[in-house]
Amino acid sequence: MNLDDLTRTSGEWLRGTGPESDIVMCSRIRLARNLNDFPFINRASRLERTEIESVVKSSLPHLDDDLRFLDVNNLSKLDCLFLKERQLISGELANADGPRGVAFSPHENVSIMVNEEDHLRIQVMLSGLSLQEVWERINRLDDQLEERMAYAFSSTLGYLTACPTNVGTGIRVGVMLHLPALVQTKQIDKVFRALQKINLAVRGLYGEGTQAFGDFYQISNQQTLGKSEQELIRNISEVVPQIIEYERKARQQLVSEKRQHLHDQVSRAYGVLKTAHTISSEETMHLLSSVRMGINLGLIDDLAIPTVNELFIHTQPAHLQKIQGSPLVVDERNVARASYLRSRLSNGRAPAEE
Amino acid sequence: MTCQRCHEEAAVHLTETVDGRRRELHLCVPCAREAGLSLPASPPKLGLDQVVQGLIVAHVGELVGELAELTCPDCGVRFMEFRTLGRLGCPTDYQVFARGLLPLLGRSQGATRHVGKSPRRPSVASDRPRLRLRSEFRAAIALEDYERAASLRDQLRSKDADR
Repeated sequence: MNLDDLTRTSGEWLRGTGPESDIVMCSRIRLARNLNDFPFINRASRLERTEIESVVKSSLPHLDDDLRFLDVNNLSKLDCLFLKERQLISGELANADGPRGVAFSPHENVSIMVNEEDHLRIQVMLSGLSLQEVWERINRLDDQLEERMAYAFSSTLGYLTACPTNVGTGIRVGVMLHLPALVQTKQIDKVFRALQKINLAVRGLYGEGTQAFGDFYQISNQQTLGKSEQELIRNISEVVPQIIEYERKARQQLVSEKRQHLHDQVSRAYGVLKTAHTISSEETMHLLSSVRMGINLGLIDDLAIPTVNELFIHTQPAHLQKIQGSPLVVDERNVARASYLRSRLSNGRAPAEE
Repeated sequence: MTCQRCHEEAAVHLTETVDGRRRELHLCVPCAREAGLSLPASPPKLGLDQVVQGLIVAHVGELVGELAELTCPDCGVRFMEFRTLGRLGCPTDYQVFARGLLPLLGRSQGATRHVGKSPRRPSVASDRPRLRLRSEFRAAIALEDYERAASLRDQLRSKDADR
């Protein structure tokens, strides 16, 4: 597999389709699974990790999903970061060492990390609010994997994981939301406090411990034991529409009370992105967030949502360097980023090829 | 305080609320017995030892007591290591450390029993002979006992072939 080819495409989950996709970027579920007769990763030798890898690899041809395996241990640091920016692997897998890998589908909806914190971290992501569909897909994939390997499972404690915070269902149900109006109207903290009270976690674009770039927030369950997968999915599915409702109200409030100001902010953001000659990743995310909201409110009509979604990912450091084909230091990246944005936004409607 | 009946020193103090009205009763031991209150023959044992033990266990106890020294026979992780690193070493740890893990799960997850999906062919703990063989294999390598390591590797291979 040639990773350079991926710079011309983007994951299907960035397509901007599906229910509520103006606010819900994507729905994601991951399952933590371990093989019954191997120690967990932190106690497994290199040899054992290689064996785990081959157990998973040998199961791939028998799955309905077309998954290709990539040996992460042999990748450069840049390629690891590139996969992380695309949400195909976690920071932990990118930065670890020793035998480890990822198998993923051509549309990048499905990925299986091997030898991360657990032997298998299975992930399915779809654009928009579609948790039930995501669950059906990941559940089927999990069933098919289980036919090929014995999972560590206890009848009382469920799926056994390296960290007890995942034991039981091993499930993390998450929805990535774009909430620029709640941030601007300073109501976002109130939402977070309410979510924490009902035991839901709020994280940034790249998961645990990361900052919320571009007003994207991931909301997910923390509890994994004592509630069924369906209950946990239902919990999130009931809460998310309320947050969407708050965000819509906040957007309407901005439109009705500060229309001129909002239109000005969105147009300036678009203007800067189209004309800048050097721009940081942070400023890009911030401005793209305004532009994304502007399109959804009908204030910009010559740019498509999938293009903006894709720019959030393609303007990040590893992507820029892969697109340029050479390593770049920060200042060079800022220049390359501005140039890439100018070229992509000059013919706004065209997203990258599928 | 004196006994409300005989003016000896009161030893039994009762407070009761009847129809929203609070009533206090102070009696010496003989008067209390006469009034039909059953008293323990000797003063209750405070059980200071147990209280102190409880405090130690609640704060640092699990790290200094026998629980801390519990070691998994399959992966060699001690409970104390898990508490320091936050990661378990193998599936068997959940059985070996159950006494320490269940209260932790109760606190962090609010539950100690799985509800939800199960594998169609559930594995059981006794299905893990390979885990044990592997840990013995690692130990043999560490001790440079290559003869034993080779025999263990052969056993592992024959089990792989059975799979």
